[in-house]
This record gives sequence, C-alpha cells and structure tokens, in this order.
Amino acid sequence: MTLSAHQRLVAAWFTLSAITLVAWSIGASHGRGPIEPDAAVAFSAIAITLIKVRVIIREFMDVRHAPARLRWITDGWLASFGLAMLLAYFA
Amino acid sequence: MTEVARARPTSSDDGQERMPGQSDMWVLVMIEAITFSSYFVVYTIYYCRSAEAFLRSQSQLDLALGVINTLILLASSWSVARCVERARAGDHRAATRNLALTAGGGLLFAALKLHEWSVEIGRGNFFSTDEFFSFYYFLTGMHLLHVLVGFIALGVVYYQLKSPARRSLEVIETGATFWHMVDFLWVIIFALLYVMR
Repeated sequence: MTLSAHQRLVAAWFTLSAITLVAWSIGASHGRGPIEPDAAVAFSAIAITLIKVRVIIREFMDVRHAPARLRWITDGWLASFGLAMLLAYFA
Repeated sequence: MTEVARARPTSSDDGQERMPGQSDMWVLVMIEAITFSSYFVVYTIYYCRSAEAFLRSQSQLDLALGVINTLILLASSWSVARCVERARAGDHRAATRNLALTAGGGLLFAALKLHEWSVEIGRGNFFSTDEFFSFYYFLTGMHLLHVLVGFIALGVVYYQLKSPARRSLEVIETGATFWHMVDFLWVIIFALLYVMR
C-alpha cells in the first residue's frame, strides 16, 4: 500500500511523538533516588535522537526526494555526529 | 502562481528528484548543524569529566516540561510540512491555516522556555551557577534565538502565501526548511540536557 503525502507526514509525526515518549520513560528515573551515569541510557538517548533527526530530515524536510548529494550530505553529517557523540561519551 | 511555482512539481511523490527549497538554505542548515554538533560534543566531553555534578544539576530540570516542549515543536514541524504539502496542491487557504498552527506552536514553545528559565532562576540556578547550567542557558538560549529567526522565516512564508501574485513554492519550502532545522536541533538538545546520563 502506498501512503499519500499527508499520510506519510502523519505517520512521521506519530512516530516522532511516540519515540519522544519512550525517551521520557528512559529519563523518568529523575527524582527516584540518586541519579548515576548510565551508559545504556546515554547510548539509548543518542540512538533515539539520531533516529528522530533522520525522520525529520527525510520526511518533514522531504530529503527523501532530494538529489543524491543532499541525501548523502545529511546522512554523512548525522553519521559523523553520532560517531563523535559516542566517542565523546565512551572513549 | 509564479513562474517558479509552475516550474516545480506539485507533488513530492512524483518519483522525481528535486531540491526541497533553495540550495543556499541547505548550506546554512549544514553550517548550523555542524556548529551545534560541536557544541553538543563539547557538552558531552564536559559531562563525562564530572558526570555526578552534571546529573545533580540536571535532576533540577523539569523533564515533563522538556517533553511537552519537544512534542510542541514536533507538532509545529509537522504543521509546516503540511503547509508545504497543501501549497504544492494549490490549497493555499489550508496552507495558511497550517502555517498559523506552526507559528502558534513556536510561540507556545518560546513562552514555556521563558517560564522554565524563570523557574530555574527562582531556584537560584543562573548561568554562572555551575558548568551544567552554563551549558543549559547557552544551548537553550542559542536555540531560542533560532526560534525567533524562525518566526521571520514563517513571516516570509506567510507573505508568499498571502498573494497569488508572488507565490513561490521554492521560497515556501525554504522557510519551512529553516523551521525544521530549529525542530531537530531542539530534539538533540532535549536528549542531552534532559535525558542523557
């Protein structure tokens, strides 16, 4: 089944909002005793964020229909940023 | 409809590759993305150097308010994407309605951000309180500045939509592109300042 442009936008918005609520549940241990650094939470937060940003770029900014060079540039930035964040946290 | 608007496909699902908005705006978006990326990496390095202190300060932020602000900006990003989609279909009345929703979301976001700052200042958390709050005010302040510039972009889109004589899909897409950038920068800021541990 092919989704219309409107349906794709609604699906993207719904996905982004649902993922945000997942991030909320990950960070919701605030106030439940001492908060300590947690590599799993950090990794999840970074991974979820990269997914959300890519959905915004591909669907809302319509890069999925853009020339290949723009798709590569945006994906290249996102991959480099994700790698830099993981190195900054885990290295 | 202008020559520019007529020259562009009316649907994004016609299978043809095309630049969404002006190339100059994409250069700006990538410069902003790389600049903010460096801020985020520097934040993470400082966080890792004194994680416990950062987390003590982070726990004073209202996570629910951060989530609400994120949902508001995501909704405003959706509505400006819907504005572009309606403009492509020639339904400029619906496009303008969606643009108004976008601006409303932006105003609500800015109001909640100012409220959050006032709460933190009331708790004695200033820019100079500690490293976490220095980053918090710097990142959220720089972002709010971009939200304000985003209102100018939305104003340009409104100016285009208002009159049939000057409607340019390319300019409408360009304004929307800036607003989406404001959205994805906030998505990253939310993860770093409110969620990451």
